[in-house]
Amino acid sequence: MPDGEADAHATPRPRVVVAAARVVVADEHALAAGVESGMGLAAARAIAPQLTAIARDAAREEAALEALACWAGGFTPRVVPVAPQALLLEIGGCLRYFGGAENILAAAMHGCAEQGFAAGAAVAPTPQGALWLAQARAAVIAIDMVMLAAALDALPLAPLDLPAATKRRLAEFGARTLGDARRLPRTGLARRIGAASAKQLGCAYGEWPDLRSDFVFPQRFAHALELPSPVEAAPALLFAARRLLAALAGWLSVRQAGIAACTLHLAHRHCAPTVVELRFAAATRDAGRLERVLRERLERLALPAAVESVRLVVDTVEELPGHSGTLFDGGSGNGDEMVALIERLRARLGEVCVHGLAVVAEHRPECASRLLPQGRSDAPVGTAPRPFWLLAVPEVISERSGRPWRNGPLRLLAGPERIESGWWQGEANGSGQPGDARRDYFVALTADARWAWVFRELRPPGGWFLHGWFA
Amino acid sequence: MNSSLAHLLARPDIWRGDRYAAAAVPAVASGFAALDAELPGGGWPRGALTELLVDAVGLGELALLMPALRGIREKGGWSLVVGAPYPLHAPAWAAAGVDLARLVVVSPAAERDALWAAEQALVSGAPDAVVCWSERADARAVRRLQVAAASGTAAAFLFRPTRAAHESSVAPLRLALAAGAGGRLAVSILKRRGPPPAAPIVLEAPRPAPYRDSALAGARPAPAAARSAYRPAWA
Repeated sequence: MPDGEADAHATPRPRVVVAAARVVVADEHALAAGVESGMGLAAARAIAPQLTAIARDAAREEAALEALACWAGGFTPRVVPVAPQALLLEIGGCLRYFGGAENILAAAMHGCAEQGFAAGAAVAPTPQGALWLAQARAAVIAIDMVMLAAALDALPLAPLDLPAATKRRLAEFGARTLGDARRLPRTGLARRIGAASAKQLGCAYGEWPDLRSDFVFPQRFAHALELPSPVEAAPALLFAARRLLAALAGWLSVRQAGIAACTLHLAHRHCAPTVVELRFAAATRDAGRLERVLRERLERLALPAAVESVRLVVDTVEELPGHSGTLFDGGSGNGDEMVALIERLRARLGEVCVHGLAVVAEHRPECASRLLPQGRSDAPVGTAPRPFWLLAVPEVISERSGRPWRNGPLRLLAGPERIESGWWQGEANGSGQPGDARRDYFVALTADARWAWVFRELRPPGGWFLHGWFA
Repeated sequence: MNSSLAHLLARPDIWRGDRYAAAAVPAVASGFAALDAELPGGGWPRGALTELLVDAVGLGELALLMPALRGIREKGGWSLVVGAPYPLHAPAWAAAGVDLARLVVVSPAAERDALWAAEQALVSGAPDAVVCWSERADARAVRRLQVAAASGTAAAFLFRPTRAAHESSVAPLRLALAAGAGGRLAVSILKRRGPPPAAPIVLEAPRPAPYRDSALAGARPAPAAARSAYRPAWA
């Protein structure tokens, strides 16, 4: 049963999932109060009056299991979802890659906990054996059949997914654990509890082959998640979106692909859905990076109404074999972190505010420097002195007795450098084109000892202008 | 002296009265020998914030940092320029030796965002140098930048107006820049991890043109044909 967003300031209320007025699953607060699964709802309410009952929604459980199966693709491409609440992962082929079964188990439990699921896990040579060990919450890593047999023998029958009739009959025979059931004579047992249950028992101990059909990962990723209650503040959506991002990361891992952009649709009840676009500097499938960029966007987002459900759609997917490639290879190994930092800054400040520079081979100074998303250093530079800072609009400076004056006389120390260019653009108009430029540039020292770059406009009406500052 | 005392004295934040503090991370050479001799560690400190107090742009304050940025280029590191007072002119930066492919410029509209960006960059540890300008940063913002710088090994520089000189600041190195005689740059060290400095250091910063005392010494008169055809209205 998934945890919803907990209200940090209120005392936690016990919650149960009910179906047909019976308690199916109780969370830890309800269990502590004494509610058990199988109890009637009225009895549960009598024990814990402040109970919250959530109706069981099979469709949501299926969707959650499918999203988890996509996430599990990050570990292995062979995943088998077992309805209603179990996942089988075939990890024989990837034990070495992850460094052992303990690492995979720990990573899987951690991932489930991050997405808000309380999970039990176990590792065994047979799928049915692993399923039963996990259902009994015996966190066992059984490497071979001997260990598996020993672990299974100790399991109680109650939490396993055998039919209720079978469990009742086995209890009547006095078998309380699986080991007891195994010791009963086989031929008679198959007749009494049914061939299906006997086969299940045999599959768990490895006596019968157990064939399962693998989960087919969807061709196109479009997963939706309904929120348990409408969410007003955008940052609180991160928790729900985290599950979708984890599923996306696993799906991309199975497809050996990465994304450069994805869209998050937030559905409201009475108005059009809000669309949040996420962009990345390089194709990626790293869940941490997706989450960081999403967090920055959500912190700045203002919602028009409460959000009822969240949907993550990916349109185009790029090939990304092996580990994530980087756009620029960092000489000191910092390329990856720099890309991540630039993405974070862009997500919060906007794409325009974070940029690189490039030199353009142009005589007019305002065209010689260009803003690009990523800087470039290939064009050659001239030898004339150029200021470090160039004003966007040249500042008019006055002229007294034939010399430029700005809070004191300007001392012209180098020049004039004649720059004439751009005749093909005609007059400078308001659309940002500098137009035809005919200027004499000087390096000037102001009265307060600042080094400036001034020019004298040669076309009528002329005049002196300040265009830039040196370092 | 016994070993535990020697251990204590080797820490970067403890120094004896007549010597400089030892730097935990090797400092970035500033490129000016007279300045390096007066700085603890022999250069700009890494993993700490350096405050540069200057009133106006164009005194040579950026020329002071250019050798350090060139040194970072040689090691293939990234530089970040945040909250610059004017738009950058790429040919000048390229001519000064900065690698434009490894330079990122962040110019947000609000100053609060500029300080946030500088803090994020220092915390991430990705760039090797972060240069930030701020008009109205208060002591709390400076403290946050210093804490962020101390968490990594980048060299962080913060330009502030000179009226901040009388405020207290947690930055371990504070310099005030002013114009010296003859077109030179006078650097006064207000605070450092070492003995209080005696007098301002006068440095020969690289200038775009040789300094001359007379007014129009370097300018040549424009040729006759270039005189403008402007006629005043009353002529």
